[in-house]
Amino acid sequence: MSDIIEARPITASQREAEPKLVRMPSFGVADKPTIAISIGAAIACLGLWWLVSRLGLVSHLFLPRPDEVWTQIGVVYRDGYAGASLSEHIFASLFRIVVAAAIAIVVGIPVGLLMGLNRWAKGILDTPIEFYWPLPPLSYLPLMIIWLGIGETSKITLLVLAMFAPICLSAQAGVRSLPLERVNAARSLGASRLQLFISIVLPSALPEILTGVRIAFGIGWGTLVAAELIASTRGIGFMIMSASQFLATDVVFVGIGIIAICAFAFTAGIRILEAVLVPWKGKL
Amino acid sequence: MLQVDHASVFFAARDGRTVHALDRVSFNIPERGIVVALGASGCGKSTLLNAIAGFLPLSEGTITLDGRSVSRPGADRGVVFQKDSLLPWKSVVDNVALGLQFAGLGRRERRDRAFELLRLVGLTDFANAFPYELSGGMRQRVGIARALAPDPDILLMDEPFGALDSLTREQMQELLVSVWARTDKRIFFITHSIEEALFLGTELLVMSPRPGRVVARFELDFVHRFAASGDTKSILASPEFTNLREEIRAILHNADDFRSAA
Repeated sequence: MSDIIEARPITASQREAEPKLVRMPSFGVADKPTIAISIGAAIACLGLWWLVSRLGLVSHLFLPRPDEVWTQIGVVYRDGYAGASLSEHIFASLFRIVVAAAIAIVVGIPVGLLMGLNRWAKGILDTPIEFYWPLPPLSYLPLMIIWLGIGETSKITLLVLAMFAPICLSAQAGVRSLPLERVNAARSLGASRLQLFISIVLPSALPEILTGVRIAFGIGWGTLVAAELIASTRGIGFMIMSASQFLATDVVFVGIGIIAICAFAFTAGIRILEAVLVPWKGKL
Repeated sequence: MLQVDHASVFFAARDGRTVHALDRVSFNIPERGIVVALGASGCGKSTLLNAIAGFLPLSEGTITLDGRSVSRPGADRGVVFQKDSLLPWKSVVDNVALGLQFAGLGRRERRDRAFELLRLVGLTDFANAFPYELSGGMRQRVGIARALAPDPDILLMDEPFGALDSLTREQMQELLVSVWARTDKRIFFITHSIEEALFLGTELLVMSPRPGRVVARFELDFVHRFAASGDTKSILASPEFTNLREEIRAILHNADDFRSAA
């Protein structure tokens, strides 16, 4: 037996100075703030660009100055480019990507969920999907043109194919990550098969599905320029390709900037959607 | 009455061998009974619970609840899991109301009923919180309230307090007894803690592994004493309690030695 030396509760003594706050040092980046560094890096990039073009280190034909690109935005906005206004170009691209995303989501989510739930669906659909999805869209672009012609159908089909795979695969992964205990809990609470699917399987897979949609949009923007190579007269991708043939480098820069802004806006939108729909993600 | 009659379970192990997980276990849970299965991991106690819950079919034997044969999960048997399995996208009150939602009750009605159950487990202040905002003990209280919501005939509890710290664990045991005393539910409870088994059970099944079987049975009344007096301390310190604890400890150790010798 040990002796009790002092059984009084120890109370904190009064202190005059503010205490020094300490914390356990984290490993890696963890949640240290990086925004200021990122903004600084962006400004440095612009500065470097301006400096390189100003000093004439690179031929003006290859690298316009930042202020020229800025001016060119105004020119393209006012006069349009290659027979269509800037908003027509942007609308044409947005239309294609949004329609393709809608089709890929409407088809990809149910197919992916089915593949996660049913042995036959998984067995039958696995081979074609695993075969086609690592292919670069540019490699089957000629087939699209031969089969579907040069209209909107072939462009949108190309985008749908590129966007379908990540959504379908993530829906499957969502079903796979569903803990058996959650299913058993619902069954012992009297859930029917339909209730199990709607109340448990679907919401459990939602975080993974949204991640898949976010990735799909990334791939979609990447494929868009390729899709708009097919005899287009509208679209940001077309605008870039057309400008490049005339060595209008500043217009190329404008096009790249617009795609970057659109892609960023879509990613941010889906992140907001994730924050609203799955605030619990990663917390349980 | 829940009747488990000569229940045996054989699994196919990955290497092709057959694992005898449960060997001819028989027992009954009468009205107002709390049967506790005690044993080391691998003694088949979770297998037994899964079979009663209807998650796992038996290889041999039968399980009947008030005359009906048990073959699949159903709302007549509420299950509280070791790891809480609350839905992270639903608030506490909606998690509790889940079974009522499945039963087709209106939103208002099921929320009222869920609120009553939250009062029973002392969590009304957290009705609108989300599971990730709760501590482990609170989550298990939600789990108990959720399992009670469809008004099951029996509560099946799979080491529900195993992951809690010892102070919280004692509070939860007392809470469970008060819930039991007020709802008159039958309970099948699994644990590897001898104290917990003695404190909670009206009947204790001591189980040993490979194959999982019942090696000793005890009729207990500590839980009745606690329900009447509310005095945990004197029960845990009573010679009866400590003697029985040591006796069971010896049985468990013997079962273990037997296994290592074999």
